[in-house]
Amino acid sequence: MSVTDQGLLHRDKDTMTLNMGPQHPSTHGVFRVILEMDGEVVQTAEPEIGYLHTGIEKNSENKRYGHVIPMTDRLDYLNPPGNNLAFCLTTEKLLGVEIPERANVLRVIMCELSRIASHLVWLGTHALDIGAMTIFLYCWREREMILDLNEEISGVRMMTSYIRIGGVAKDATRPWLDGIRDFIEYFPAKVDEYERLLTKNPIWLDRTEGIGAFTREEAINWSFSGPALRASGVNWDIRKAQPYSGYDNYKFDIPVLNNGDIFDRYRVRVEEMRQSRIIIKQALESLPEGPYKTPDNKVSLPPRESLHTSMEALIHHFKLVSEGISVPVGETYVPIEGARGEVGFYIVSDGTNVPARVKLRAPSFMAIPGMCKMMEGCYIADVVGIIGSIDIVMGEVDR
Amino acid sequence: MTSEEIIEKVKAGLADAIQDTALPQGDAVIFVAPDSWHAVAEFLKNDADLKFDYFSDVRGVDYLLEEREPRFETVYQLYSIDHQHSIRVRVGIDEDNPSVPTVSDLWKGALYPEQELFDMFGINVEGHPTMERLIMPKDWEGFPLRKDYPLTTEAVTFSYNRDFKSDLVKSKPPTR
Repeated sequence: MSVTDQGLLHRDKDTMTLNMGPQHPSTHGVFRVILEMDGEVVQTAEPEIGYLHTGIEKNSENKRYGHVIPMTDRLDYLNPPGNNLAFCLTTEKLLGVEIPERANVLRVIMCELSRIASHLVWLGTHALDIGAMTIFLYCWREREMILDLNEEISGVRMMTSYIRIGGVAKDATRPWLDGIRDFIEYFPAKVDEYERLLTKNPIWLDRTEGIGAFTREEAINWSFSGPALRASGVNWDIRKAQPYSGYDNYKFDIPVLNNGDIFDRYRVRVEEMRQSRIIIKQALESLPEGPYKTPDNKVSLPPRESLHTSMEALIHHFKLVSEGISVPVGETYVPIEGARGEVGFYIVSDGTNVPARVKLRAPSFMAIPGMCKMMEGCYIADVVGIIGSIDIVMGEVDR
Repeated sequence: MTSEEIIEKVKAGLADAIQDTALPQGDAVIFVAPDSWHAVAEFLKNDADLKFDYFSDVRGVDYLLEEREPRFETVYQLYSIDHQHSIRVRVGIDEDNPSVPTVSDLWKGALYPEQELFDMFGINVEGHPTMERLIMPKDWEGFPLRKDYPLTTEAVTFSYNRDFKSDLVKSKPPTR
């Protein structure tokens, strides 16, 4: 098709159509937006997605429950434990399994570490897009520590698949716990350092204050969630509203701000990193002794040693490895608070070992139309800031 | 409100439109016909006690393999930010000419997931401003998440580099 056929060139109009992406660096993935420009001001912004479509939902309908977990890592690839947890909680709700207390605490530690890592990637790249170069490397330095901790516990730096149906993959190790203790002692000073670089920086304020603002009603109506919603004055965090995995046992605050602009979204996320550290600290102190996965051998593998002595354990092991978990007929949905907002899997089970339908509710996907609405009337230079401030991850948008 | 209270309230307000209710694992679920779905949605959003102001998600489900009537279902998840409760609405949709009214006039957040319904299941969302492909390419044929759409692999079109060391390689590049 030629440019005229696609409607990109209008000789009769005063506006100019500008194509941004899919390989534009600020889109943090492959996101394309077609901007209708009047001079420097955006008139309309039309999103175009699907460049990273990998058919994960279709694939999930042809895989056993346990085999879906590594694929969930690849959805929101900056916050894999959040996706693992969402999938496992939904499956466990259908199965009706009780999770041991130690597994719940380990899950919380993993999710909060990953939330910090995800916000660090966001802060570094978002600031880099706007022009603050230094902070990018600072954020990567701290994220590297979390990735090393991931490697220690799961053997993998990013796609951990650590949270499994019925518990977690492996018990906490001493180097991992010591590493987290060191990290939470070290981290607060670094958050202060980021804030010293940005929060009162006049260039940063000029680029972020009052730009891309959404009111409370708009943010709710456009189905924003997570930090983007809380920056618009909505006090809604699923960790508090519908607690899961024992989040009601921890004392932490939900940062809520009212302006709904890029600057407030920045401040909400920075404060969330501090709160996540507080949760990890409490979780480490309250880490109970006990099993790290459910003793129900129809859901989780029996201990390796028992295979040599127990016939029953051997049968369970064989059935689980060759057949997988059979989930009773039903459909359910459990939302959790991911790094970007409400994450949840809707699972329909037909009673077999393969799910009949798996649907991810992705916060980035839901936020894209609202984000493009936000761009209307902004300068083209602010488009980059708006995309960065919503923090979209294309892996979960295109699935 | 608890799930039981939500269901009681919805039943009292919309006795004719509700086909059935259920409480699986403690979630409030109501069953609605496509014709009455928009009226039900308006009631759920505007009623002061329910006030489902947040559109969480909509998913399509294909029950072809279970031979259930109707074949398709769209499942809406709504949440109330003020009251902190949620509801799931299941709308059964017939196989021939599948269509459901849009609710994107009530919740703007429904625009994208409703477009995905069309993209993945071929369910026509009446009144939606852009009923076209969203994730799949514009010229794609078929609806990938239907159960009668097979999971296949696509032939990869690599070009062969000639193997200069031996001319024994006689194979040709695979054709699509």
